[in-house]
Amino acid sequence: MTPLLQVRNIKTYFHTQDGVVKAVDGVSYDVERGETIALVGESGCGKTVSALSILRLVAEPAGKIMSGEILFDKVDLLKLSDEEMRKMRGAKISIIFQEPLTSLNPVLTIGRQISEGLEFHKNMSVPEGMQEATRLLKLVGIPHPERRVYDYPHQFSGGMRQRAMIAIAIACQPQLIIADEPTTVVDVTIQAQLLELIKNITKEHNTSLILITHNLGIVARYAKRVFVMYAGNIVEYGSAMDVYHSPCHPYTAGLLASVPRLDEPRKTRLQPIEGQPPDLIAPPMGCSFQDRCGYCIGECQKETPHLSEVTPNHYAACCVSQKGSRQWQKSS
Amino acid sequence: MAEIVIEVNNLAKYFPVTRGIFRRKKIADVKAVDGVSFTIHKGETLGLVGESGCGKTTLGKCILQLYRPTSGEVIFEGKDLCEMSDKELVPVRQKLQVIFQDPYDSLDPRFTALDIIGEPLQIHKISKGKEYNDRVAELMNLVGLAPYMAERYPHEFSGGQRQRLGIARALALQPEFIMCDEPISALDVSIQAQIINLLDDLQQKFGVAYLFISHDLSVVRHISDRVIVMYLGKVMEISNRDELYKNPLHPYTQALLSAVPIPDPAVEMNREVIVLQGEVPSPMNPPTGCVFHPRCYRAFKDCPKIIPLLADAGGGHQVACLLYKTSWP
Repeated sequence: MTPLLQVRNIKTYFHTQDGVVKAVDGVSYDVERGETIALVGESGCGKTVSALSILRLVAEPAGKIMSGEILFDKVDLLKLSDEEMRKMRGAKISIIFQEPLTSLNPVLTIGRQISEGLEFHKNMSVPEGMQEATRLLKLVGIPHPERRVYDYPHQFSGGMRQRAMIAIAIACQPQLIIADEPTTVVDVTIQAQLLELIKNITKEHNTSLILITHNLGIVARYAKRVFVMYAGNIVEYGSAMDVYHSPCHPYTAGLLASVPRLDEPRKTRLQPIEGQPPDLIAPPMGCSFQDRCGYCIGECQKETPHLSEVTPNHYAACCVSQKGSRQWQKSS
Repeated sequence: MAEIVIEVNNLAKYFPVTRGIFRRKKIADVKAVDGVSFTIHKGETLGLVGESGCGKTTLGKCILQLYRPTSGEVIFEGKDLCEMSDKELVPVRQKLQVIFQDPYDSLDPRFTALDIIGEPLQIHKISKGKEYNDRVAELMNLVGLAPYMAERYPHEFSGGQRQRLGIARALALQPEFIMCDEPISALDVSIQAQIINLLDDLQQKFGVAYLFISHDLSVVRHISDRVIVMYLGKVMEISNRDELYKNPLHPYTQALLSAVPIPDPAVEMNREVIVLQGEVPSPMNPPTGCVFHPRCYRAFKDCPKIIPLLADAGGGHQVACLLYKTSWP
């Protein structure tokens, strides 16, 4: 069976006064039906932009998808008209944004915002939509949904707003949900509630999920496959087990080593990744991680490494790794 | 044990809630911090964890007298800071500094790095002229910034570098105590470790004490010597680090620890997560008895009636929970 979503060599650039920012520079990945994958990386690595590109929500005219294919159920989303794309968003593919307060409309009631999609995609009447919205609010665990459905976003707490966002995302039973840092702004106890909720919903409806996060712990808990992004590219991907236990890119190894872990004896010192990510307007020649990498060899400065299979079903874009040397695995 | 730098006794901060435009009537109090006591020793890091709205930052600000506490004492160098006038506090403030959470909002965009780091030196008239520039350069070196960047403005620095500016500024007056209010939560993972290591180094060099406020329990374990767990303005548990993480006594601490995902899929597969139900109640109308009982998975019939006392449950491990005999009044 073909995967539900096939992203092929997407390039999304932003044209700014200072030059062209290559936010996403040739990213490819697949999502199977019912599968949860994770895109991990630090701010500015292009994980959000690559997800927004799927929904064609990149802010134009500055941002533009330059090339590539996004096959959703064998249909290339980039070739659809605006009207056809509108019928996709919310109905087949939906998104949960990071900050529910800025992404919800402050002048519409929560119920209206949930029912909007139902009215558009499912031809429901307003009362039908509101009734369905009440059911959905109950499903996502909001107390007194019959009353709360008439509330405005400011009357909800942060965790409840994110629940409302989830209700909007699942309203039309999409096949794919993109969760863009869904729990970054909430507390750890609420984070656990929300992620369990998302997990149960996707499991029940066999929905595919793209989980975008910088939290390596969340990825380990919820995703089967992991894609690590750095400076607009995927630098490593594979099953979560492989990537966490034998990282084939020094960046992944560095990330894993830099976070303190509760289940391990306390280290006297953390191992940070020195330096900062490169400027995406003028990225260095060769590997984008070379300046921060402790294992650099001559080739790193000349050739841009491409993803290749290092061990079965485990890919990395690293010259050193492809030569068979992976000293960092011992230290991590 | 090292000498005590700050002693906090029964500290409380209530914010009045008012209604009416012309005649402001007080209708309730938000008990942001409610009867908190602890000590901070020289050269020690005291971690302070809890969810947003539990009063972590308010507590920190009360210690520094940025908020005047409603009641209680903050004793520093034998004097109660709460009793002192604003004018009397000026010289004391040299010794007590702060690093803020958001390095984007807390630096004046019109100040250069030199102005930002040097401002405390000017206010307290510590140094001027060449000596002033040298001192700022020395501070920049100390936090890992190149002195040639002194003429740059905050927007020309990255997030991690800005946080370094904030740290240099806090260190300028050689304080004895720094309140670090979520100093790394706005930074990326790989940069967080750089800043934590820097804070560690500076502590060893200068023997400064930190109150490290954070909601990230793994980071708090890494950096702290002792840890306070707060919930809704009250202290739930205080203990030294190893004891707290190995043997958390309070159900809230246990739930917090289990909610932290561990970056290892093999560990996560077999891990049981305690998912707390509901959200933090409003501090305007806190629950009766133990404030945590509505969300507690081990609550029993006495919890809504009796307020548990924070008491030593053995070996200096203090907990406020009725599951332990010591907490019964």
